[in-house]
Amino acid sequence: MRFALTLLLAASLGACVTVRPEEKEFLADPSMTFGAEGETQAAEEHVLTNREGSFGAGGVSGGGCGCN
Amino acid sequence: MNARLTLLVLALAGAASAGAQVGVSTVTTYYREQGGPLENQVVTPSVRIRGDIRDVVQLRAGWEADVVSGASVAVVDNPGLSPDVITSATRYDDFRNVATGGFTLRSEFASLSADYSYGNESDYRSHGFRLGAATELFERNTRFEISYGRGFDQVCNLAQPRAQEAVDRQRLPNSDGCFGGAPERETLDVDIHTFQGGWTQAWTPIFVTQLTFTGQVLNGYQGNPYRAVWLGRSAAQEFHPENRQRWAGGLGARVYVRPLKGTLQLFGRLYRDSWDVTSVAAEVAWEQTLLESLRVRVRGRYYTQSAAAFFSDDYSRFPRGQYFTGDRELSSMGSWVVGGSVRYALPPPVEERTLEELSFVLKFDHLRYDFRDYTYAGAAVPNHTGLALTFGLDAQF
Repeated sequence: MRFALTLLLAASLGACVTVRPEEKEFLADPSMTFGAEGETQAAEEHVLTNREGSFGAGGVSGGGCGCN
Repeated sequence: MNARLTLLVLALAGAASAGAQVGVSTVTTYYREQGGPLENQVVTPSVRIRGDIRDVVQLRAGWEADVVSGASVAVVDNPGLSPDVITSATRYDDFRNVATGGFTLRSEFASLSADYSYGNESDYRSHGFRLGAATELFERNTRFEISYGRGFDQVCNLAQPRAQEAVDRQRLPNSDGCFGGAPERETLDVDIHTFQGGWTQAWTPIFVTQLTFTGQVLNGYQGNPYRAVWLGRSAAQEFHPENRQRWAGGLGARVYVRPLKGTLQLFGRLYRDSWDVTSVAAEVAWEQTLLESLRVRVRGRYYTQSAAAFFSDDYSRFPRGQYFTGDRELSSMGSWVVGGSVRYALPPPVEERTLEELSFVLKFDHLRYDFRDYTYAGAAVPNHTGLALTFGLDAQF
């Protein structure tokens, strides 16, 4: 509960941020976009997830393991 | 299932004829682990097609496969196979198909998406769906995403009495008869629930962060049915707990360095699960725009994890409770990845053309694993380096 409240409070900080649309030239660069690597990043996660004992927080989901 | 995917492909074709934007992408990854008789390789080709109608609806369908060949040690730590247990590795080949389909509905500041996937291999099947929602707030400087995925997986195993003691269970020798009703085979369920959340925040014109969280609950058979572990007097099929809860939190940051026209990318992840595996991953990358259409990225990644509570490298002398495993990914291990990628996008045409955008990507990764307490009856893991090559192509019509 405390964690959720802290997260909610932190997320509300976004309301204080004022990056105006005309200031987003660099933010619009593909290298600044999370997940812009798309399917090649998913392929990389597929390689790593099958060879490590952990998973997640990388934006990838799917079923089947293909590891045996 | 095939009929539903055919309908989706027909819908995409219809979208194309209705003047929608259609994109096609293909990515192929080749992975190879070198090291004596235990080398193995995986080729993963994939094709995806998507159609966007007036920025309101996106339909997508895809196919992916894993073509696996290599060798593995069937009975981990078996002293009876000495002097060299590794040269007794058994060869295996496997082929996995995954078909996917889904859609996204978008409004000005929010989107809803749904995806379905069906995976099939000789000894494993999976049905999975995922529902997701995303919204943008505060002049689009803040983005929240949540999703829930549900997997209905099935594993083939050697039919054995359920009341049989784990130490007497035998490993699955091959996949013959799996899912075909053969009396010597049984099908075991694996239920998977995956929750994900993400918060992306632009803080300044050159600084953006992303916080991600994943929780997963698995219930069912989670071992490798082909693998057995030497327990002292005999070997038995590896025996894992049927329940596992996993949590991971990640924080990424990207900073655009104006004088260099490049981006510094940082990522860290903490992970913990109910099997007592704890891990930390850290990644640093630099992405440089060389020409307007050419981008180069170099990166390094370090990963380390603790062993599962029931892992032992020698169950005959150091048993760890009722469970036993021969899985090296449940041992205390680490890995290094060093790699890079090159992306090239053809400049957009001046006049209106059928092909609006075409881009290529070539990636290379060198992986090195460090198995701190995992051996094959005292022999170190020989296949501790890997190579991953990826080639991708994306076209927008």
